[in-house]
Amino acid sequence: MSSQNWYPQAGRNAHYARRQMLRGGAALGAVGALSACTGAGKVASAGPAPRRPYLTPMRVTPDQLIDMKCCIRPVRAAGPNLGTQMIGDTLVVHNYGHGGSGWSLSWGSAEVAVGKALSVLPSEIAVVGCGIIGLTTAVVAQRAGLKVTIYTRDVIQRTRSFRAHGSFTPDSRVALSAPAGAGFGDLWEQMTRLSWKGFRSMLGLPGDPVVFQDAFALSDAPPVKKHHDADPAIKGAWEPGGLPLQESEWAHYMDRIKDLVPDPVMLEAAENPFPVAYTRRSSEMHFNFPSYAHHLLTEFYQRGGLMVMRDFNDPSQYGQLKEKVVINATGYAARDLWRDKTVFPVRGQTGWLVPQHDASYSLRYKNASLMAKNDGIVVMNNPIDLGEMFGVGDSMELPDPAPILEVMKIVEPIMAGMKGIA
Amino acid sequence: MGGLKWVLAGALTLAAVPVNAGTANGVYTEAQATEGAAVFAERCAMCHGKQAEGTWEVPALKGKFMANWGRESVAALSDYLARAMPQFAPGTLEPKDNGRLVAYLLKINGHPAGAKPLPEDHAALAAIRIDPLAATTVK
Repeated sequence: MSSQNWYPQAGRNAHYARRQMLRGGAALGAVGALSACTGAGKVASAGPAPRRPYLTPMRVTPDQLIDMKCCIRPVRAAGPNLGTQMIGDTLVVHNYGHGGSGWSLSWGSAEVAVGKALSVLPSEIAVVGCGIIGLTTAVVAQRAGLKVTIYTRDVIQRTRSFRAHGSFTPDSRVALSAPAGAGFGDLWEQMTRLSWKGFRSMLGLPGDPVVFQDAFALSDAPPVKKHHDADPAIKGAWEPGGLPLQESEWAHYMDRIKDLVPDPVMLEAAENPFPVAYTRRSSEMHFNFPSYAHHLLTEFYQRGGLMVMRDFNDPSQYGQLKEKVVINATGYAARDLWRDKTVFPVRGQTGWLVPQHDASYSLRYKNASLMAKNDGIVVMNNPIDLGEMFGVGDSMELPDPAPILEVMKIVEPIMAGMKGIA
Repeated sequence: MGGLKWVLAGALTLAAVPVNAGTANGVYTEAQATEGAAVFAERCAMCHGKQAEGTWEVPALKGKFMANWGRESVAALSDYLARAMPQFAPGTLEPKDNGRLVAYLLKINGHPAGAKPLPEDHAALAAIRIDPLAATTVK
């Protein structure tokens, strides 16, 4: 993580004020210019201005787009399946169906699944699947003293996990309120808190597998908190084998971990580096896939883990493995493999811009979301109007660059408006 | 008499899979594979690629694909296609097209065509094993 975001507050304000005055308000418009002047009077004596710019504009021209990825979130209406079942004499512990929260819940969910596996005192277990859930589960099982073999079709770099956005969003499309029931909130909180500690234990490791950075939400009008009220015109709701019909059906739990997540703050006009009227700063945590996978795989192999490449096409095949305890971490594939029709697809796609290590921040504006990561600036187009219903029921996994290019265009003038920062 | 022979052969197939029940022995016809190629072009190539070469994300339907499906029955592969493919509209392949696709996939993976078409009957398909290729036939 770059250290350039961490100026002392007073110095940073002075820097903004000077910058705004130099710009004369031309790019900011009347509101920004006025506030900049008042702000300048307040903090001008706070210290010398930093020599480097606070934020480097991201390069968002179409030529910077170097990759597109698309994946299906494996949403399970009742939340992830952590249940157990017997296949012949084999105990199968499920650990799949984490929606848009697989990365975020990985450590906690692994802890729950491995705990169940441990209860029959095995000395070795199998894990099926090597996405973020499978690989984390394998490592957690090893840390608990078990010998682990992963059976998988692909190693993490080619799984859907690597096509995610990769930020800490533990209740993103994780469940629907009604089918999840009241009890799931407690389990979610347990898994989220454990995962948070897991990520904390990886902060600062070589390659920055986990990173905190500033995230800015930009708007032209005062930001308002989003509500998820039910639309009375829509009759009915999710049924097994079907899809949610409206956004109010989704479960939200983030209020339970308010103590962990830093509060967002509105930037004063004088410290707003963007040419919009309102900017809210918060902290986000994200995962850099390449180094994260490297750390997990390294630990897995160093602890003597075995990886067997194979596919499964029927649950009965789990019973044929030599390990008599198997953790099933097959993500969206579980829908077909285990015939779990309560899993439904929610498509998401990301565009990836050339990595820009001097621009280590995230930004949201209108439907655009950009997040600087080690392996590129990840761009998403998430229509605000559709919210969590966007992509529901869509299992087309081919990427389409058009919507990504569309939001890059929206952000281009924002980045251009930052010019002259120095 | 000929018909009776086939009935007997069918019964034998069900009772115990004979050694020669694998795909190395020509279990589909060229005509089926050709029809399968057309289905593939229309329903599969958009994701899996014109040559079934796949991408980093989308599985190729050659090479590792056969390692995944090798030693399974043709019925297992056929059932999977019928149930799960194409991913954006699973379960929409016509049963006849499904069989043609299986024939095409066998062909592009080096399994020889034969005189008899792939059977439509599930039990008969279940008796056909997907063989590994003989080392001398790999191109």
